[in-house]
Amino acid sequence: MPKKIDLTTKIGNLTFQNPVTVASGTFGSKDEYARYVDYEKLGAIVTKTVTPKLRKGNPMPRIWETPSGMLNAIGLQNKGIDDFIENKIPYFKKIKTHLIVNIAGESIEDFVSLAKKLDVQKGVSALELNISCPNVKKGLEFCAKPELAYEVVKAVKETTQLPIFTKLSPEAHDFLGVAEAVIKAGSDALSLINTIRGMAVDIEKCRPQLANVFGGLSGPAIRPIALRYLHEVKRRFDIPVMAMGGIVNAQDALEFLITGAHLIAVGTANFVNPKATVEILKGIEDYMRRKERQSIDQVRRSLKLKSDFEDRFVPAG
Amino acid sequence: MFDETVTILENKKVNAEYFKLIFSSKQLSEKVFPGQFLNIQIENQQGLLLRRPFSYYRVRGSKIEILYEILGRGTTLLAEKRLGHTLKVLGPLGRPFTQKLKGKKRVLVAGGVGVPPLVFLAETIKDPVSPLLLIGCKSKIEVLPKQELFKIEGEVRYATNDGSYGKKGFITVLLHDILKKENPKSLFIQTCGPNVMMDAVMKIAKEFGAEGEASIDERMACGVGACLGCVVETRDGFKTSCVEGPVFSFAELV
Repeated sequence: MPKKIDLTTKIGNLTFQNPVTVASGTFGSKDEYARYVDYEKLGAIVTKTVTPKLRKGNPMPRIWETPSGMLNAIGLQNKGIDDFIENKIPYFKKIKTHLIVNIAGESIEDFVSLAKKLDVQKGVSALELNISCPNVKKGLEFCAKPELAYEVVKAVKETTQLPIFTKLSPEAHDFLGVAEAVIKAGSDALSLINTIRGMAVDIEKCRPQLANVFGGLSGPAIRPIALRYLHEVKRRFDIPVMAMGGIVNAQDALEFLITGAHLIAVGTANFVNPKATVEILKGIEDYMRRKERQSIDQVRRSLKLKSDFEDRFVPAG
Repeated sequence: MFDETVTILENKKVNAEYFKLIFSSKQLSEKVFPGQFLNIQIENQQGLLLRRPFSYYRVRGSKIEILYEILGRGTTLLAEKRLGHTLKVLGPLGRPFTQKLKGKKRVLVAGGVGVPPLVFLAETIKDPVSPLLLIGCKSKIEVLPKQELFKIEGEVRYATNDGSYGKKGFITVLLHDILKKENPKSLFIQTCGPNVMMDAVMKIAKEFGAEGEASIDERMACGVGACLGCVVETRDGFKTSCVEGPVFSFAELV
């Protein structure tokens, strides 16, 4: 008999049965992947961003494949919070895993009103504040300055008892300043990283490949960048992180876990392999057996660093 | 819906325009309707990340045939695959063409990547009135070999841009002739091809008051309705072409 391994991960009062979850926007809002994945096997489900009102989204074309990645400019297409509460949340009530609802607004009031409505919903385990969407007007605004990021997180924290994950963008000029601000404002965890803006051109038609011109780059192309941001945050702050950015297989996921992630979120890989999440979970278990790690805590932050190395390559900010 | 690793049985050039891919899968060949598609992972490596959607061209027993054009990086790599290579295939996906029509005559308007699903439809439907298949292409060298079309009971008419085969001009010239000659209300148009072509087809259909449906060609990632990358503008807002389409009625489309 193989030894039983403990995959449970704690963030605040929440216990996740394992560290595998999905990145917002890549797993739909309801049962889109239910025929491929047993949702109850995952540590949590993170839904696509919901906004106060219906959002039509950006014009087409919205996606373009790039080497080892893709650009997307969906533009937060969703039917709004009321539809979400009426038609999406009930589906998750009977599913035994955590539901993390990703929310975005254009003002602090928007975030507060969303949090208020979700606070009273049974079945919602936590909120993820999307203050870093690169594809909508004002999407990156709250993530641009530490003071603004602080304000929005603080306001939501005062509104709800639900644990808060704040999703940050590597495009913030003062990334670590923003991270520090949202931690001070009471964010229970961070989600790192949102996509990075990119662009591609159709050389025959001489126009951008995306109607929005810019789109968020995701996929393996950004994985090393995501890992770097995770490491920078974990070195400085004692805060749980849901890590994401190009995780395709168990090896990728383990890089993030070893570097200190509490949860890992599978994103673009779901589009390629609908069963990516469950395959990654199995791969993590196999690794733990092989390396004789009894608990995921032993994997987390098992990264070995030489101290002189550690400090030499740390950039200023 | 199934996600299966299949082994290539055949992958060869058919003519100047198309390659034909054949593989076998019991589950991917059952309960398939023309207009549905497969999302194929061509390379199991992260460099070419996303899958590519291909419509079903033909199903014979458990053998599935795909007819494709080389249009970019993915299809270039697909054309290099040989017998014995494997592909990961997800399907059958999407809403198919309308199968049963009440007494109407089908006019199938196809061009480019739209030819395979409409040949599939023309081969398999059992209408009291034989369908009419219109195919548009650039030149004679792109005309499908006769053995690819022999199973179709109805008439096949070609239009070529340079006039080297069939009627000279765009496919809309053929459609225009038919709508002028026959009662548009007795016809049902089903079209698939480049979006420019389908826009022109819909414009003419509207002019004559003929009903029909179009299979939309949008860039696609997940194929399961999650990413919202392939949406189409309809009267009821954006709809996913992978799950709610790719076939939409003319009336639905804006």
